[in-house]
Amino acid sequence: MSYLIAAYAVTVVTLVGYAGTLVRERARRRSTERDGG
Amino acid sequence: MSEATPHDDLHRHDETRLEARIQKAVGPLGVAMSLLAIAYAWTVFQAPVDSVQGIIQKILYVHPPLAYGAYLGFVVTAVAGAAFLRREREEWDRLAIAAAEVGVIFCTLMLITGPIWAKGTWGRWWSWDPRLTVTLLLWFVYLAYLLLRSFAGPGPRTARFASIYGIVGVVLIPLNYYIIEIFDKRSMHPENLERGSLGDGMGWPFLVGNLTLFFAFVYLLLLRWSIENLRARDARRAAMEGSA
Repeated sequence: MSYLIAAYAVTVVTLVGYAGTLVRERARRRSTERDGG
Repeated sequence: MSEATPHDDLHRHDETRLEARIQKAVGPLGVAMSLLAIAYAWTVFQAPVDSVQGIIQKILYVHPPLAYGAYLGFVVTAVAGAAFLRREREEWDRLAIAAAEVGVIFCTLMLITGPIWAKGTWGRWWSWDPRLTVTLLLWFVYLAYLLLRSFAGPGPRTARFASIYGIVGVVLIPLNYYIIEIFDKRSMHPENLERGSLGDGMGWPFLVGNLTLFFAFVYLLLLRWSIENLRARDARRAAMEGSA
Protein backbone atom coordinates (compact mmCIF):
# COMPACT_ATOMS: atom_id res chain seq x y z
CA MET A 1 0.00 0.00 0.00
CA SER A 2 2.82 2.42 0.89
CA TYR A 3 4.46 1.85 -2.53
CA LEU A 4 1.16 2.65 -4.23
CA ILE A 5 0.69 5.85 -2.21
CA ALA A 6 4.30 6.87 -2.87
CA ALA A 7 3.89 6.44 -6.66
CA TYR A 8 0.71 8.55 -6.81
CA ALA A 9 1.94 11.12 -4.28
CA VAL A 10 5.20 11.82 -6.10
CA THR A 11 3.30 12.20 -9.41
CA VAL A 12 0.65 14.54 -8.02
CA VAL A 13 3.08 16.68 -5.99
CA THR A 14 5.50 17.03 -8.92
CA LEU A 15 2.87 17.88 -11.54
CA VAL A 16 0.95 20.28 -9.27
CA GLY A 17 4.19 21.92 -8.13
CA TYR A 18 5.44 22.29 -11.70
CA ALA A 19 2.08 23.71 -12.86
CA GLY A 20 2.11 26.20 -9.96
CA THR A 21 5.62 27.33 -10.87
CA LEU A 22 4.62 27.83 -14.51
CA VAL A 23 1.42 29.74 -13.62
CA ARG A 24 3.35 32.11 -11.29
CA GLU A 25 6.17 32.65 -13.78
CA ARG A 26 3.72 33.36 -16.61
CA ALA A 27 1.72 35.79 -14.46
CA ARG A 28 4.93 37.59 -13.47
CA ARG A 29 6.07 37.96 -17.08
CA ARG A 30 2.64 39.09 -18.28
CA SER A 31 2.42 41.73 -15.55
CA THR A 32 5.96 42.95 -16.36
CA GLU A 33 4.94 43.22 -20.01
CA ARG A 34 1.74 45.12 -19.15
CA ASP A 35 3.75 47.52 -16.97
CA GLY A 36 6.04 48.16 -19.92
CA GLY A 37 9.18 46.40 -18.76
CA MET B 1 19.82 47.02 -33.77
CA SER B 2 17.88 47.69 -36.96
CA GLU B 3 14.54 49.46 -37.19
CA ALA B 4 11.31 47.46 -37.06
CA THR B 5 10.34 46.09 -40.46
CA PRO B 6 6.84 45.19 -41.74
CA HIS B 7 7.90 41.55 -41.25
CA ASP B 8 8.61 42.25 -37.57
CA ASP B 9 5.15 43.82 -37.20
CA LEU B 10 3.56 40.77 -38.78
CA HIS B 11 5.60 38.50 -36.53
CA ARG B 12 4.56 40.44 -33.41
CA HIS B 13 0.93 40.32 -34.54
CA ASP B 14 1.17 36.50 -34.92
CA GLU B 15 2.79 36.21 -31.48
CA THR B 16 0.02 38.29 -29.88
CA ARG B 17 -2.60 36.09 -31.57
CA LEU B 18 -0.83 32.94 -30.38
CA GLU B 19 -0.66 34.29 -26.81
CA ALA B 20 -4.39 35.17 -26.92
CA ARG B 21 -5.22 31.64 -28.09
CA ILE B 22 -3.13 30.09 -25.30
CA GLN B 23 -4.80 32.41 -22.79
CA LYS B 24 -8.21 31.28 -24.06
CA ALA B 25 -7.29 27.58 -23.88
CA VAL B 26 -5.58 27.27 -20.48
CA GLY B 27 -8.65 28.17 -18.36
CA PRO B 28 -11.05 25.54 -19.81
CA LEU B 29 -8.20 23.02 -19.94
CA GLY B 30 -7.47 23.57 -16.26
CA VAL B 31 -11.15 23.06 -15.37
CA ALA B 32 -11.41 19.90 -17.54
CA MET B 33 -8.22 18.56 -16.00
CA SER B 34 -9.44 19.16 -12.43
CA LEU B 35 -12.76 17.39 -13.14
CA LEU B 36 -10.96 14.52 -14.80
CA ALA B 37 -8.57 14.26 -11.84
CA ILE B 38 -11.54 13.74 -9.50
CA ALA B 39 -12.96 11.04 -11.82
CA TYR B 40 -9.45 9.53 -12.06
CA ALA B 41 -9.06 9.27 -8.27
CA TRP B 42 -12.52 7.72 -8.00
CA THR B 43 -12.01 5.12 -10.77
CA VAL B 44 -8.58 4.12 -9.36
CA PHE B 45 -10.12 3.77 -5.90
CA GLN B 46 -12.96 1.64 -7.33
CA ALA B 47 -10.74 -0.49 -9.59
CA PRO B 48 -10.54 -4.18 -8.66
CA VAL B 49 -7.49 -5.43 -6.75
CA ASP B 50 -5.32 -7.70 -8.91
CA SER B 51 -5.33 -11.33 -7.71
CA VAL B 52 -1.59 -11.84 -8.39
CA GLN B 53 0.12 -8.52 -7.54
CA GLY B 54 -2.38 -7.17 -5.06
CA ILE B 55 -3.08 -3.46 -4.62
CA ILE B 56 0.32 -2.32 -5.96
CA GLN B 57 -0.87 -3.26 -9.46
CA LYS B 58 -2.92 -0.01 -9.38
CA ILE B 59 0.33 1.77 -10.29
CA LEU B 60 -0.68 0.59 -13.77
CA TYR B 61 -3.08 3.55 -13.94
CA VAL B 62 -0.28 6.10 -13.60
CA HIS B 63 2.96 4.54 -14.89
CA PRO B 64 2.07 3.82 -18.57
CA PRO B 65 0.13 7.14 -18.95
CA LEU B 66 3.30 8.94 -17.78
CA ALA B 67 5.27 6.98 -20.38
CA TYR B 68 2.84 8.03 -23.14
CA GLY B 69 3.13 11.66 -21.97
CA ALA B 70 6.93 11.45 -22.14
CA TYR B 71 6.78 9.93 -25.65
CA LEU B 72 4.33 12.63 -26.73
CA GLY B 73 6.62 15.37 -25.39
CA PHE B 74 9.61 14.06 -27.33
CA VAL B 75 7.57 13.54 -30.51
CA VAL B 76 6.29 17.14 -30.27
CA THR B 77 9.92 18.27 -29.77
CA ALA B 78 10.91 16.46 -32.97
CA VAL B 79 7.91 17.65 -35.01
CA ALA B 80 8.29 21.27 -33.83
CA GLY B 81 12.03 21.04 -34.56
CA ALA B 82 11.28 19.82 -38.09
CA ALA B 83 8.76 22.66 -38.53
CA PHE B 84 11.40 25.14 -37.36
CA LEU B 85 13.98 23.77 -39.83
CA ARG B 86 11.43 24.09 -42.63
CA ARG B 87 9.81 27.45 -41.79
CA GLU B 88 12.52 29.15 -39.63
CA ARG B 89 9.78 30.46 -37.30
CA GLU B 90 11.03 30.88 -33.74
CA GLU B 91 7.65 29.92 -32.25
CA TRP B 92 8.25 26.34 -33.42
CA ASP B 93 11.64 26.26 -31.77
CA ARG B 94 10.12 27.56 -28.53
CA LEU B 95 7.42 24.86 -28.73
CA ALA B 96 10.20 22.26 -29.10
CA ILE B 97 11.90 23.56 -25.92
CA ALA B 98 8.60 23.54 -24.00
CA ALA B 99 7.71 20.02 -25.15
CA ALA B 100 11.17 18.68 -24.24
CA GLU B 101 10.88 20.08 -20.73
CA VAL B 102 7.38 18.70 -20.13
CA GLY B 103 8.47 15.39 -21.70
CA VAL B 104 11.46 15.17 -19.34
CA ILE B 105 9.17 15.82 -16.34
CA PHE B 106 6.86 12.98 -17.45
CA CYS B 107 9.85 10.73 -18.20
CA THR B 108 11.35 11.45 -14.76
CA LEU B 109 8.06 10.50 -13.11
CA MET B 110 7.91 7.34 -15.23
CA LEU B 111 11.43 6.52 -14.01
CA ILE B 112 10.34 7.05 -10.39
CA THR B 113 6.99 5.23 -10.47
CA GLY B 114 8.48 2.26 -12.40
CA PRO B 115 11.11 1.39 -9.77
CA ILE B 116 8.53 1.85 -6.98
CA TRP B 117 6.33 -0.72 -8.75
CA ALA B 118 9.37 -2.95 -9.40
CA LYS B 119 10.41 -2.89 -5.75
CA GLY B 120 6.91 -3.92 -4.70
CA THR B 121 6.62 -6.78 -7.22
CA TRP B 122 10.14 -7.90 -8.26
CA GLY B 123 11.73 -7.06 -4.91
CA ARG B 124 14.34 -4.66 -6.30
CA TRP B 125 14.31 -1.07 -7.45
CA TRP B 126 16.18 -1.45 -10.74
CA SER B 127 17.43 -4.04 -13.19
CA TRP B 128 19.35 -3.44 -16.41
CA ASP B 129 16.46 -4.82 -18.37
CA PRO B 130 16.33 -3.67 -22.06
CA ARG B 131 13.19 -1.54 -21.61
CA LEU B 132 14.51 0.15 -18.46
CA THR B 133 17.92 0.79 -20.00
CA VAL B 134 16.51 2.38 -23.18
CA THR B 135 14.10 4.47 -21.10
CA LEU B 136 17.01 5.78 -19.04
CA LEU B 137 18.91 6.53 -22.27
CA LEU B 138 15.86 8.39 -23.64
CA TRP B 139 15.73 10.47 -20.46
CA PHE B 140 19.45 11.33 -20.75
CA VAL B 141 19.07 12.29 -24.42
CA TYR B 142 16.36 14.86 -23.74
CA LEU B 143 17.93 16.04 -20.50
CA ALA B 144 21.02 16.77 -22.60
CA TYR B 145 18.74 18.63 -25.06
CA LEU B 146 17.55 20.89 -22.20
CA LEU B 147 21.12 21.42 -20.96
CA LEU B 148 22.16 22.35 -24.50
CA ARG B 149 19.35 24.90 -24.74
CA SER B 150 20.14 26.30 -21.34
CA PHE B 151 23.92 26.64 -21.77
CA ALA B 152 24.24 27.42 -25.49
CA GLY B 153 21.92 30.43 -25.27
CA PRO B 154 19.57 31.65 -27.99
CA GLY B 155 20.41 31.95 -31.65
CA PRO B 156 19.56 30.31 -34.98
CA ARG B 157 22.63 28.01 -35.00
CA THR B 158 21.78 26.52 -31.59
CA ALA B 159 18.13 26.21 -32.61
CA ARG B 160 19.02 24.39 -35.85
CA PHE B 161 21.41 22.01 -34.09
CA ALA B 162 18.90 21.35 -31.28
CA SER B 163 16.14 20.69 -33.84
CA ILE B 164 18.24 18.02 -35.56
CA TYR B 165 19.24 16.55 -32.19
CA GLY B 166 15.57 16.43 -31.08
CA ILE B 167 14.58 14.67 -34.31
CA VAL B 168 17.38 12.09 -34.06
CA GLY B 169 16.61 11.39 -30.38
CA VAL B 170 13.02 10.42 -31.15
CA VAL B 171 14.17 7.16 -32.85
CA LEU B 172 14.62 5.78 -29.33
CA ILE B 173 10.83 5.83 -28.81
CA PRO B 174 9.87 3.00 -31.22
CA LEU B 175 12.99 1.15 -30.09
CA ASN B 176 11.87 1.53 -26.47
CA TYR B 177 8.35 0.37 -27.28
CA TYR B 178 9.31 -2.68 -29.34
CA ILE B 179 12.46 -3.70 -27.45
CA ILE B 180 10.55 -6.33 -25.49
CA GLU B 181 9.59 -8.04 -28.78
CA ILE B 182 13.15 -7.55 -30.13
CA PHE B 183 14.57 -9.33 -27.08
CA ASP B 184 11.94 -12.03 -27.57
CA LYS B 185 10.41 -11.54 -24.14
CA ARG B 186 13.75 -12.05 -22.34
CA SER B 187 12.78 -9.05 -20.26
CA MET B 188 11.50 -8.64 -16.74
CA HIS B 189 9.26 -5.84 -17.95
CA PRO B 190 5.77 -7.07 -18.86
CA GLU B 191 4.64 -7.13 -22.49
CA ASN B 192 3.13 -4.06 -24.13
CA LEU B 193 -0.55 -3.64 -23.38
CA GLU B 194 -2.93 -4.89 -26.05
CA ARG B 195 -6.69 -4.97 -26.46
CA GLY B 196 -8.09 -7.36 -23.86
CA SER B 197 -4.90 -7.61 -21.80
CA LEU B 198 -6.45 -5.69 -18.90
CA GLY B 199 -8.64 -7.54 -16.42
CA ASP B 200 -12.35 -6.86 -15.85
CA GLY B 201 -12.98 -3.38 -14.44
CA MET B 202 -9.44 -2.15 -15.23
CA GLY B 203 -10.22 -0.57 -18.60
CA TRP B 204 -12.05 2.50 -17.27
CA PRO B 205 -9.44 3.62 -14.72
CA PHE B 206 -6.74 3.09 -17.35
CA LEU B 207 -8.65 5.18 -19.90
CA VAL B 208 -9.46 7.97 -17.41
CA GLY B 209 -5.84 7.96 -16.20
CA ASN B 210 -4.60 8.37 -19.75
CA LEU B 211 -7.10 11.16 -20.48
CA THR B 212 -6.24 13.04 -17.26
CA LEU B 213 -2.51 12.90 -17.86
CA PHE B 214 -3.00 13.82 -21.54
CA PHE B 215 -4.94 16.95 -20.49
CA ALA B 216 -2.27 17.68 -17.87
CA PHE B 217 0.39 17.34 -20.56
CA VAL B 218 -1.37 19.78 -22.94
CA TYR B 219 -2.03 22.25 -20.10
CA LEU B 220 1.61 22.24 -18.97
CA LEU B 221 2.87 22.42 -22.55
CA LEU B 222 0.76 25.50 -23.34
CA LEU B 223 1.86 27.26 -20.13
CA ARG B 224 5.53 26.48 -20.77
CA TRP B 225 5.27 27.55 -24.46
CA SER B 226 3.63 30.81 -23.41
CA ILE B 227 6.49 31.53 -20.95
CA GLU B 228 9.05 30.86 -23.67
CA ASN B 229 7.23 33.30 -26.01
CA LEU B 230 7.02 35.96 -23.27
CA ARG B 231 10.70 35.47 -22.44
CA ALA B 232 11.68 35.95 -26.10
CA ARG B 233 9.56 39.13 -26.29
CA ASP B 234 11.26 40.42 -23.11
CA ALA B 235 14.70 39.74 -24.57
CA ARG B 236 13.78 41.46 -27.86
CA ARG B 237 12.41 44.50 -26.04
CA ALA B 238 15.52 44.72 -23.84
CA ALA B 239 17.72 44.52 -26.95
CA MET B 240 15.71 47.28 -28.68
CA GLU B 241 15.89 49.50 -25.59
CA GLY B 242 19.64 48.83 -25.37
CA SER B 243 20.17 49.89 -28.94
CA ALA B 244 17.90 53.00 -28.70
